[in-house]
Amino acid sequence: MTEEKLILKEDLLRICDDVIKKGDTLLAPGKSEYVIVKDVSEIKLDPEALPTKISFKSYVFPKSEPVLYYKRSKNDVTLIDADVNGRKIVVLGAKPCDTGSIDIMKDLFNWDYRDEFFNLRAKHFIMIGMMCKTHDEYCFCTSVGCSPVSENGSDLFLIPLSDKEFALRIVTEKGREFIEPYFRFLCDADTKRTEEVLSAAKNPETAFDPDEVHEWLGRNFESPKWDGIGEVCLSCAQCAFACPVCHCFDIVDEDYSYSEGRRMKNWDGCQFGHFTLHASGHNPRDIQSKRYRQRINHKFRYYVDKFGKILCTGCGRCSRGCPVSIDIKEIVSNCKD
Amino acid sequence: MDELRRFARELLLKKEVAAVIGYEQVGEARTRPVVITDPDECRRLVLNEYCLNNLVVYLNRARIKALARSKEGIRKLAVVAKPCDIRSIVALIQENQIRRENLMILSMNCHGVVRDFGCEFNGDNLAAKCISCNTQSSTYADKSFGEVREIPKFTGKLEYDLSEIEQLPPSKRMEFFREQFDKCIKCYACRAVCPLCYCQRCITDKTIPRWIESSSHSRGNFAWNIVRALHLSGRCTGCGECERACPMDIPLSLLNRKMAMKSKELFGYESGKSTDNPTLVGSYDQKDSDELFM
Repeated sequence: MTEEKLILKEDLLRICDDVIKKGDTLLAPGKSEYVIVKDVSEIKLDPEALPTKISFKSYVFPKSEPVLYYKRSKNDVTLIDADVNGRKIVVLGAKPCDTGSIDIMKDLFNWDYRDEFFNLRAKHFIMIGMMCKTHDEYCFCTSVGCSPVSENGSDLFLIPLSDKEFALRIVTEKGREFIEPYFRFLCDADTKRTEEVLSAAKNPETAFDPDEVHEWLGRNFESPKWDGIGEVCLSCAQCAFACPVCHCFDIVDEDYSYSEGRRMKNWDGCQFGHFTLHASGHNPRDIQSKRYRQRINHKFRYYVDKFGKILCTGCGRCSRGCPVSIDIKEIVSNCKD
Repeated sequence: MDELRRFARELLLKKEVAAVIGYEQVGEARTRPVVITDPDECRRLVLNEYCLNNLVVYLNRARIKALARSKEGIRKLAVVAKPCDIRSIVALIQENQIRRENLMILSMNCHGVVRDFGCEFNGDNLAAKCISCNTQSSTYADKSFGEVREIPKFTGKLEYDLSEIEQLPPSKRMEFFREQFDKCIKCYACRAVCPLCYCQRCITDKTIPRWIESSSHSRGNFAWNIVRALHLSGRCTGCGECERACPMDIPLSLLNRKMAMKSKELFGYESGKSTDNPTLVGSYDQKDSDELFM
């Protein structure tokens, strides 16, 4: 069973200070994205803040990274491995709709090929999740198997009992190893109070049943419903890039000169028209409605079939940030007869 | 608003237009673009301070253009546009992208819009472009809707001041923009929402040769953002949609505004003012100032 302790906010910040002093990376939700904390005074730990505009995905799956370097000589090509940065990253106060994201992506990055870049970074993540005490009209974590109190993906989980104290749950062995040197800061838990706080969680209303959506999608590949969305969507990748679990990437070679260059792995998005453009000129997803259909099917059908997980955490970032206000919750809720 | 709904419905019933592009309400403080072909659906149309999108962007979309070709030979599209959005229409007509005779412009008499969805409409949350707006209604439109009311006085604070940035020494200015562009994730939302970014194939999507690195590192981001600004100089009409759409909060309109100021100062040209003039680039004269030539 998960062990529970009590920790004062000031002691939690002392631990954070120690993390920074040790030279490890401390990430915390900032104004619009997760930011690297340089001084603990920047830490807000606000359970009532909405999710940041983009998730911490770029720290485990960077928007752009070299995977190898190459050198050409007259008759030969030499390949040089890229260094994988496997520094320890401590994420403090991650929302439950973010904490599980690495586990969801892990399946893809270990499917037909073990992506050492992703894996090494993921291995060094320490996830300190925090109970969420808010939601807006775009949140739907409870419809995709997550909840404001979900410990899924967290190594340690914080439950704010007041402005000054937190219940701290030790969820994984990794979490225990991290917190052990700081045991002196932990006091005995007041589990009754914790339960009270947890039971007062504000769950967003369930918007749809993912099993029904899965079944509907299987029957409605050619539904005219997709057309309407295709007319409004402008084909940018805000939704994919803000998403904590979208993971598509493109591989490109960048030449510095005739003899040298590097191979890059860059974020890519399925709403871009050229995402599926073949060298022949043929494009199987030539119009926007087909691309949006792909987005929904990938999240709620294909990924479920392949890995048994929904490729969505219900954070609502894609909808909140959509330049043309397309709301994924509304669309998926309408995936029914 | 009812007048707009009635009028739009009539247009569709009489088959004067193939579709009406307008706004529908989604939630309390947000609207969404909507493309209506069924006359009865016109009841969804709204006009208010949350009509942020520049719907002119849709006029150049292949799917929307196809609507005006396929339906019983109706060539016209109706579009709901704020007076500032109409400047984008003018620019597109100047650039031979759309024809005035194929358009029905339904203008909204505007008293300002919010800076972003979800904000309450007041002086604090007025969109930056509305602060010094002097075109609350348009004479170029076919019909205008709503009453002209005063724009609230701006009482908020702008995060960046263009004149302050202009005064920075070049190295500091470079540092400022490099820092801003480093945030870019290349989602191309700025490109997607821009009515003037209508290239069938954007230079960033060209791979043989690759002119702009697709990688979102400093160099690739810098190249993209500078190319975007340059391609829009003398063309951008200042609708500010790029900046609003940016998920990384990059102050994109700083560059656009600077370019617009330069166009006016050096060539007396303002984009989107009149269809009688050729475009800025189209009116090149050997006597033009070469201050901006690199």
